[in-house]
Amino acid sequence: MIYRRGFIMSLILHFSLLIVGYFGLPHLRKDVLLETPIMIEVVNVDEVSNAPAPQITEEKEKEPEEPKEAEKEPEPEKPEPQKQEEIASPPPPPPPAPAREPDPVPEPQPLPKVASVTPAPETKPKAKKKPEPKPEPKPEPKIEPKPEEVKKEEPKPEEVKKEEPQQKPPEKEPEAKPKAPEALAKAKPKRKPKPPDAFDSVLKTVEELKKSQPRVQDEPDEKEKEKKKKAKKAPEESFEELIAKALPKNLEKFDTSQPISISEIDLVRQQIAGCWSLPAGAKDAENMEIEIAVNMNPDGSVRDARILNKNLQSDPFLRSMAESALRAVLNSRCQPFKLPRSKFDRWNTMTLVFNPKEMFVR
Amino acid sequence: MTVFCLNSWSRFPGIALLMGVFLLFALPAAAELRIDITKGTVEPLPIAITDFVDTSANNQEFGKSIARVISDDLERSGLFKPLDPRAFIQSGSAIGAKPRFGDWRVINAQALVQGRTEIVPDGRLRVEFRLWDVFAEQQMVGLAYFTVPNNWRRVAHIVADSIYKRITGESGYFDTRIVYIAERGPQNNRIKRLAIMDQDGENHRFLTDGGALVLTPRFSPTLQEITYLSYYGDLPRVYIFNIDTGRQEILGDFPGMTFAPRFSPDGDSVIMSMAKNGNSEVYTMNLKTRVVKRLTNHSGIDTSPSFAPDGRRITFNSDRGGSQQIYVMDADGRNVKRISYGKGRYATPVWSPRGDLIAFTKFTGGRFYIGVMRPDGTGERLLAEDFLVEAPTWAPNGRVLMFFRQQPSKADGSGGTSRLFSIDLTGHNEREIITPLDASDPAWSPLIP
Repeated sequence: MIYRRGFIMSLILHFSLLIVGYFGLPHLRKDVLLETPIMIEVVNVDEVSNAPAPQITEEKEKEPEEPKEAEKEPEPEKPEPQKQEEIASPPPPPPPAPAREPDPVPEPQPLPKVASVTPAPETKPKAKKKPEPKPEPKPEPKIEPKPEEVKKEEPKPEEVKKEEPQQKPPEKEPEAKPKAPEALAKAKPKRKPKPPDAFDSVLKTVEELKKSQPRVQDEPDEKEKEKKKKAKKAPEESFEELIAKALPKNLEKFDTSQPISISEIDLVRQQIAGCWSLPAGAKDAENMEIEIAVNMNPDGSVRDARILNKNLQSDPFLRSMAESALRAVLNSRCQPFKLPRSKFDRWNTMTLVFNPKEMFVR
Repeated sequence: MTVFCLNSWSRFPGIALLMGVFLLFALPAAAELRIDITKGTVEPLPIAITDFVDTSANNQEFGKSIARVISDDLERSGLFKPLDPRAFIQSGSAIGAKPRFGDWRVINAQALVQGRTEIVPDGRLRVEFRLWDVFAEQQMVGLAYFTVPNNWRRVAHIVADSIYKRITGESGYFDTRIVYIAERGPQNNRIKRLAIMDQDGENHRFLTDGGALVLTPRFSPTLQEITYLSYYGDLPRVYIFNIDTGRQEILGDFPGMTFAPRFSPDGDSVIMSMAKNGNSEVYTMNLKTRVVKRLTNHSGIDTSPSFAPDGRRITFNSDRGGSQQIYVMDADGRNVKRISYGKGRYATPVWSPRGDLIAFTKFTGGRFYIGVMRPDGTGERLLAEDFLVEAPTWAPNGRVLMFFRQQPSKADGSGGTSRLFSIDLTGHNEREIITPLDASDPAWSPLIP
């Protein structure tokens, strides 16, 4: 009996050992799941963070966007005719443009005639062109909203549109803020009746534009003005007040005399990098450094920019790299730069230094 | 003067201090904001190319075709993105006047090409073009060319070259030709002929009839000649072929088999290997004096020599260290130095016309690679990989490589197609060059003078 028991026990134990050997020890803990890592882009942060400033500006910037959507829908109905007038009206500005055109237009004649295939000396056309860019970007640096008009000489529907949003923020950003959603809600069902607050800024700029250019069609204007007055007065002032009260509190927290924080600079850096498409595979590209002096508008758009590097003519690689950098700065798709408006005096002029060294790390 | 100043300051420490304090305040205000941008994108540049306007009517096709060739050239380079002409707001007809840059910015064109063609009274074709920088609103280049009308395709390539050069800073490579080995027939009885075509595959023609096996054609820097290996009469020898006259000439009468020829950068001599008694060495032969000089002397196999563009150094392939590796030596054969140390075997080194890199074929792990490294052996990068990729050749600007790629053939001898491909130095933008038959051993010409 005892032997048999022992035998059975040993059998059981051996068997269990076999099972363990075959299947392995049971897992008491759950396997650690391999999760896909979360990608975080590390942005350098300045020691002294001047954070509140960007927050405010960001809010400001966001809000006008919402109203924009609201604007867009109603636009077709009312402001539409005005729009077109605007588009038509700019023709006054063109005179400057044509005035400039004549001189640069290098008529076919200057083109050196070339025997068979030898490229003509490039110098002629270039020499003519050179002087041109310089004269235009001269305007004094410290005008506020005007410069936009200076910069955009050509009358384009696009640009006209742009100007509106740009002008808006400086004037009345806050007022639109709380109303925006309501405006949307109202705007859709009612359509014609009273233009809600969201349009006010648009209409105002439109009005201003009109005033500046005495026009024949005053009728609609007046009607709208009346409408606006009715619509505006009661709610809007209260909002203005509210915001006027609210703003200073926030503003107190940051110091405008502080330098731009590195985090803010990093944002701009990324913006510009996104528009900088540099000639790939250029020889010695990693050792090139391009400096571009930029004059800014308060809304964060570029007023003018020029290349500071010398000996561009002698080094075609450097020139093409410099020109690619200049295109990046001038490309409106990467503007406005997200810089705090309150520190405009710090960034109204700046130097952008382009060096693709980071792209050559191997 | 300085001394005096220092003295005077020390006499009035108070003033100096005051000035210092002022300076302290003044400095931060004057400190200008500088932002470093250390990276960008390598996206192709959006460029608008309008149809060239024909001013002498009734031959409209020139303007359209030229614009199309330019557009195709630039697109194939991978550095430009020609925009769809249907998106253009302003038509090309307004050449002569300044473009309405706003219209072009709207469709995000960063550069604009306008041009016109004209048949001048003496019957020649005049092609004029302008390249505009849309953002800076100025003309970047404007040129006019005259040629016989049926040469319009070449003019288009030349225009594309000057656009490429103006925007990238590097000379173009569109006005070039490719010579290669056209192949047909089963693998065990392949007919190989020398063929030549424009860089874009146009103007294709055969140079030899296929009677003898031909290999490794190379362009002369003076362009009228090609050197290559031919098995004419079952004897592998280096030949020179004159493209203009169609004449073939055997290069020297050597006791052994000569192969892997290449011109020197000045075109005056040919460098090649000669095998004798089971050992091959590198030789040069002056084409004028016919003087032959032996450069290497080693029991290993030395082959595939290629000159640096300055003609002072030579890279070649040798198994003297036990396996096939790349070596560099002076033009007189001294200072031999091994530069490849990676895993696998290296072959067919070719020095870039720009001088900064050496391209090679690498065999490792059962696969072939096309790669580049610096002449000192650092910075090895592999650009293409396959069952068989081989024979890299440089575009004249040292920025694009061409090679051939062969698919494995089946047991019955079918399959095994081989085609030409080009690839950017960055390893991007691989393109096939369409050839009528199978193709191998491409050689890129220098820019046509």
